[in-house]
Amino acid sequence: MSTWQLIANGFAMVLTPVGLLLQVVGVAVGIVFGALPGLSATMAVALFLPVTYSMTPSNAMTLLMALFIGAISGGLISAILLRIPGTPSSVATTFDGHPMVKKGQAAKALGVGIVFSFLGTIFSTILLMFIAPEIARVAIAFGPAEFFSIAIFSLTMIATLSSGNMVKGIIAGLVGFMFSTVGTDTIEGTQRFTFGLTNLKGGFDMLGVMVGLFAVGEIIAAAETAHHKQQSEITVPNMKGIKGFGFTVKEFVGQRWNALRSALIGFGIGVFPGIGGGTSNMLAYTVAKTADKNPERFGTGCIDGLVAPETANNATIGGALVPLLTLGIPGDTTTAMLLGALTLHGLTPGPLLFQNQADVVYGIFAAMLICSFIMLAMEFYGLRVFVKMLAIPKYILLPCIFVLCALGAYQLKNNISQVLACLLFGLVGYGFKKFSIPSTPFILGFILGPLAEVNYRRGMMVTNGSFTPFLTSPISAVFLAIAVLVIVIYATKPLREKRKAAKGN
Amino acid sequence: MTFRKYKDLILGSVMLVISGLYLYFAQQIKTRPKIIPSYSNARIFPTILGILLLAMSILLIIQGIRKAKSFDASKGDTGDQVSKEDYLVVVLTLGVILLYVLLMVPLGFNLSTMLYLFVQFMILAPKGKRKPIQFAVIAIAFSLVCFFVFRVGLSQMLPRGIIESLLGY
Repeated sequence: MSTWQLIANGFAMVLTPVGLLLQVVGVAVGIVFGALPGLSATMAVALFLPVTYSMTPSNAMTLLMALFIGAISGGLISAILLRIPGTPSSVATTFDGHPMVKKGQAAKALGVGIVFSFLGTIFSTILLMFIAPEIARVAIAFGPAEFFSIAIFSLTMIATLSSGNMVKGIIAGLVGFMFSTVGTDTIEGTQRFTFGLTNLKGGFDMLGVMVGLFAVGEIIAAAETAHHKQQSEITVPNMKGIKGFGFTVKEFVGQRWNALRSALIGFGIGVFPGIGGGTSNMLAYTVAKTADKNPERFGTGCIDGLVAPETANNATIGGALVPLLTLGIPGDTTTAMLLGALTLHGLTPGPLLFQNQADVVYGIFAAMLICSFIMLAMEFYGLRVFVKMLAIPKYILLPCIFVLCALGAYQLKNNISQVLACLLFGLVGYGFKKFSIPSTPFILGFILGPLAEVNYRRGMMVTNGSFTPFLTSPISAVFLAIAVLVIVIYATKPLREKRKAAKGN
Repeated sequence: MTFRKYKDLILGSVMLVISGLYLYFAQQIKTRPKIIPSYSNARIFPTILGILLLAMSILLIIQGIRKAKSFDASKGDTGDQVSKEDYLVVVLTLGVILLYVLLMVPLGFNLSTMLYLFVQFMILAPKGKRKPIQFAVIAIAFSLVCFFVFRVGLSQMLPRGIIESLLGY
């Protein structure tokens, strides 16, 4: 089948009445999760997984992609209006977005943010559609050595880059990895760390762990402040009487290079594991500022400073799906949830997915494109509703979300033990917060760990105990070398800084 | 104050203990040397992980000692300071969450959820904003909406109790 035929099939698959309804609902809920500070794209996907249990894989993925896209974009609403980023992906949006509101250009700021979010998503989806199948074609020849090295590479990147403290990042990754070793060993069939408990034989469920760590942990942490924080006042901008999207064609054309550059940055960062949307918006903003002739304009409310982060963070979505779909490797927590969703619906992400379930893959692509349009329309015309949602107090919102978490965990196995496990990981998540340990490496250690372990042990069995093939396969060698290099660079950073300081004196 | 000063030191020590325990139990894992060679048995990764965590926790302890020595209480962000009253709310929240989870099966989904939501709203709401009637209405409505969406709309199983029987499910 030609690529165009596959794309057409994808559209046919998601353009059903049910599919469209799911996309509209998904984008709307996603925007709310993105807009509300403290709720994230990861949480939106986590909470809606149980809703998809009885759906077809294609409908399920359509809904989850809609949530993902809505949530990443929705962060701009609170970032611009409240100067509080709704998600880490829109931190840089506050820099110029809020000053524009202060200058009385709220509608224009929102218009710019929404339109460039839309363009970022579309751009990255199209790149994804043409790049991913090619990578899948190459990856089909990957053996245990390549998968082991890519998993180790991703783990190293995540542990070192996702936090300021490398030691803590590695500890988080190791502890996540350790939790994944609990249960029946897949190769040898013996029990590991089950302590005779039947419930532990199957190991910890990925979804229970993630819902616990990200949602329950967040709720417990919020309990500290929910009872004394006052809600800030928000002014609803008047979107009526605004022509087009609030900015001129000239302004739009003037942003073309900035937008293209930011989209490429966003996409590229999405492809590499461990960095993700939280960094891409900041990096795109910094690059736009450095490249500008008058960098002092930035921070005072210029649209360039809004275009860069909003294009980049949405472009990261398409990038992040590249390793997820082609290799089965999630680069951040939201794609980790999507991996869980795919597995739950009997799909194994990886090169074979493009051969065996091409319809689902192209359905995902089509859904992403349609959702971008839904997002554009909804954020522009439904803004008032979303702004009203920002006024829901946390003490009402968080308990309701916990109920949804408990519901989802219960339905994993229809028994209460999963809910208790979820609670346990909630406590772990809260502890992580208290000790400032990043939770992303934990989750990815938990998910990528088994991939590394199984492939290492399989590879060693094939080679009768020789590690050489891991180093002689060019792809495997390159990834291992980068992993070692990253660690060396980070480990020697304090030494180099000291030397620099000594020279300076 | 003291917590912030010794944070890394405490964490490093806890991780040291965990890595020790993990390594001990890792050596208890049964292997089948006749079928699976020792270089790829079930013990190899847990052993490597345990050793790595041990090394990292020692590094963190060293970092923690350095940090505690040069610690300046006036420096750093003071925004995340949590009062005793705040911790009380956290402990109460954990308590009701645990009760909720344990009571879900005996009481059924609806009754336990309504009770949990109401009590949790009361605990979390600021003193001047506690509106029992409004909270009760939200708790009942939210629970019923969830029940109907999951049980009826998505035909999922939920713990049954009095309310579920009254509703006829």
